[in-house]
This record gives sequence, structure tokens and C-alpha cells, in this order.
Amino acid sequence: MHGGSYYNLALKDIVQGFSKWQLAWLLGIGDIKQRYARSKLGQFWITLSMLIFIVAIGVVYSFLFHQEIKSFLPYVACNYVAWTWLSTSIIESSTVFVQAQGYIKQTPIPRSIFALRTIIRNFVNFLHNIIIIFLVFVCMLHPISWNMFLVIPGIFFILCCGFFSSLCLGVICTRFRDLPQIVQAIMQILMFLTPVMWPVSSLSKNALAIVEYNPMAALMHVVSKPFLGIVPDMSDYILSSITLLVLMIGSGYIFARFRARIVYWL
Amino acid sequence: MVEIKLDNASVEFSIYNARSRSLKSNLMKRVGGHIGQSAKDDRVVIHALRDINLHLKTGTRLALVGHNGAGKSTMLHLLGGVYEPSSGSAIIKGRVSSLLDLSMGMDPEQTGRENIILRAVFLGMSIAQAKALVPEIAEFSELGPYLDLPMRTYSSGMAMRLGFGVSTAIQPDIILMDEMIAVGDVRFAEKARARLHKIMDNAGILVIASHSSETLRQYCDRAIWLKEGQVLAGGPLEDILKEAHGPD
Repeated sequence: MHGGSYYNLALKDIVQGFSKWQLAWLLGIGDIKQRYARSKLGQFWITLSMLIFIVAIGVVYSFLFHQEIKSFLPYVACNYVAWTWLSTSIIESSTVFVQAQGYIKQTPIPRSIFALRTIIRNFVNFLHNIIIIFLVFVCMLHPISWNMFLVIPGIFFILCCGFFSSLCLGVICTRFRDLPQIVQAIMQILMFLTPVMWPVSSLSKNALAIVEYNPMAALMHVVSKPFLGIVPDMSDYILSSITLLVLMIGSGYIFARFRARIVYWL
Repeated sequence: MVEIKLDNASVEFSIYNARSRSLKSNLMKRVGGHIGQSAKDDRVVIHALRDINLHLKTGTRLALVGHNGAGKSTMLHLLGGVYEPSSGSAIIKGRVSSLLDLSMGMDPEQTGRENIILRAVFLGMSIAQAKALVPEIAEFSELGPYLDLPMRTYSSGMAMRLGFGVSTAIQPDIILMDEMIAVGDVRFAEKARARLHKIMDNAGILVIASHSSETLRQYCDRAIWLKEGQVLAGGPLEDILKEAHGPD
């Protein structure tokens, strides 16, 4: 088969995947229902445990970093909710196809559906977690500003990021089954290198680069900053766009080249 | 037009053992000398199907015969588009329904009703169309009040009725079957058979893999004989059955 047809088939797969968004929706919602089947609070368990974590970390770190709790708790809440969404999107993108092997081995189905399923699932989780942000804002009397509408492009960035990361990481991780664990470990490290739970102001001047050139920080900021009422820096948008572009090109190649192999690797 | 065309299509599986499947050994393959060699030799390739040429047109009623492991199931998956051939090409035109796994995609925690919708959307319907389908399936499967209980409470027979009901609710162009399906008790089996026959009669292409000559004689007129992943012979059903099973 020549190169062009790989790309045509991959594009066809993605177009068909989007046209079957209703299936992706049912699968994504089904995942959430399944995880919390028979529990009373259901999905809100995630939200509740995250709320407890945020309050604990917020209080402890505000003492450690000598921050005023009134502004630090909303800061941690916005960051942590955005970070969780971003990192879960990437970690779960590594198992999209392995998780769907029951379907893929039985029916001809566009592979991109499963990427959509994962981003739908994680987006719904994120929407639940937004409640935490508002809860913390109310308790800390944090003002709400019009800048909040800037989360919309930020949300778009993370959705795309999750989609393309499924198409490349998902494919590679289907072939190499050790990778999901490695991805998870890397995400843990990145969490400490990203200003999720510590203020950027606590960094010395030399160390600022780990925030400035950290794509994860940029992607987190385009969502977390608007929530706080701050307009994200131009550099956040530039770095996010570059990251997305690289991811798009990389996943375009990998998905086109190995899409047909996925079923053979399962 | 309904059509399946296979040109020199092969399906090969590489079996990676735990070692060669990990990234570690792949990196070593690049880095190391000796280990790399042996790691490469670890790879076993299974030629599930080799150089298949087949052209099925509207009206085809094809039987697949052959021993266990001859490649019948892989062939059905190839014809259904589950596997894209690892070499050669496969062109499939028409809506395929493989009645291979009736319970595929069923979620035990969701209710029967939700599972009908999920499965119907899998088969290509919109959610609204799927919802409209529920009463018909409910009536056919005779599940009554169970329809609103989670599927984990169903007996295996009840789950089969539901799966069968949805799978046969949509008229496909191409039907693929691994052995004849039998669902439920005597009375229900009769009803199921009538329903199945209806979609089988209306399908453009029908392919059945079976060990039962009786079944094949009932539904098919042509056959191919598979052995070790290759087509040994193809032609009118009776001739192939004679060749494959020897004169009885």
C-alpha cells in the first residue's frame, strides 16, 4: 500500500468516528456509570475525594509557602481540577484501544470512536469537578469575573490534546504494554514540575524556566487561570498551540501508519 | 451494490512473547548486539490466512468448511472488515452484520433497555432510532419487567434473547455466521429461527462457517474449503463437501 492511502484511510476513520459521536457518548457515559454502579453518591465520589484533597493540600501548603489561605485555596483548587483533567486525559489515552479490545476484535469500527469516548468520559468528570471550584470560591469569597469565559478556548486545547494523544500514545501503548506504566510515572513527576500546588513566585529566577518551557504548565494555565479571573499570558497560548501542533503531526503519522495494525496487536 | 473482493489477502499475526513485546527489549534490539538477535528470533509469525482471492457478489450463499484452526473464523473476521489484511487488499461494500458474538458490547451494570440502545447504536443507528426500536425488541425477547433491571440479573438465556433480538433487528447486506445460532427453549427457538431466516433471505451475501453438512446444505449453494489458512478448493457445495469430508 502506498503512503497516500494510509492517510486517506486514517482520515476516513476520524471522519466516521466523529459521525458516530452518539456511540462514543454512550460508551463514555457507560464507563462512568459502570465505575460507580451501585454506589449512592456515584460520580460525586471523585468530586468529594478531590475536594478533601484540595482543602488539605491548600491549608498545609499555604503555611509552608507563607501564602494567604483566602487566595491560595482557590489557586490550588483551579490548578488541581485543571491538572487532573489534563493528566488523566493523557494517562487514559494510553489504554484506549486495549480497553476497547472486546469491540475492536469483533466488529469493524472506526478506531477514533474510542479516542472520543475517552475524552467524553474525562470531560464529564471535569464538569463534575468544576463544582469544587465554585464551592471553594464561595467559601473564600473569591470574586467571579468575566475573564472566566476564557476557559472555553482552554477547554478546547485540552480536548484536542486528549484526542490526539489517544491517537498516538494509544497506538504505541497497544504495541508496547509497558508504556502505560511509564506514562503514569512520568505524569507523576511532571505534576511536581508544574505549579499545581506551589506558587510560581516561590521559584528562584534561575528555576523559572521549568514553568516557562513546560507545556503541561501552559496547558493547565489556559484553563486554570481564567477560572481564577486572570487572563492567561500570550506565552501560555503560544506554548499550548505548539504542543498541540506537535502532537497533531506526530499522531497523524503514527495513527495513519499503524491504525490497521491495532487489531493485530490486541 | 453488495460486494466483497479479496485480492491476495493475508492475515498474519506476530506473536510477541512477554520479552519482545516490552519496550526494553526493543531498545536493546537497537542497542545491544547479541540480545538483539535472540530477541528478534523470539517473534513467531502465524499465517492465519495466506493469499486469499475471493469475489463475492449479490446472491452469494457461501459455506466455509475446514477443520479446527483452518482459518474459518479468521476468514469471517476478514470478510467482515475486522482485520484489514496485513498484505493484499480487501474491499467490502455493504452493511455487514456479523452474528458472531451476540453479547458483544453488553454492559452487565446497565439495564436491558440501555443495552438495547447501546447495541443498536453500535449497529449504526442514532440514539433516537435505537430508542424507537426498544418496544419491538421487548416484545420479541419476552423479557417484560426484566428490561428495566441491570443485565447482570439475567440468566444467560435471557441475555442471549436480548442480544439476538437486537442483532437481528436491522436488515444487513452481508451476514456472517459461525455455526447456526440457536437461542432459547423449543418454543422461543422456533420464533428466533423464523426471525433469522427472514434477514438471511433478504441479505445480499451470506457466509456461514460450520462443521455440520446439514446446516450448510440448508442455506448455501457454494463452498470454499480452507486448510492451514489457504483455500484448498472452491466450487459447488456438494463437490466441496465430498472433497473435504470424503465420500460418505
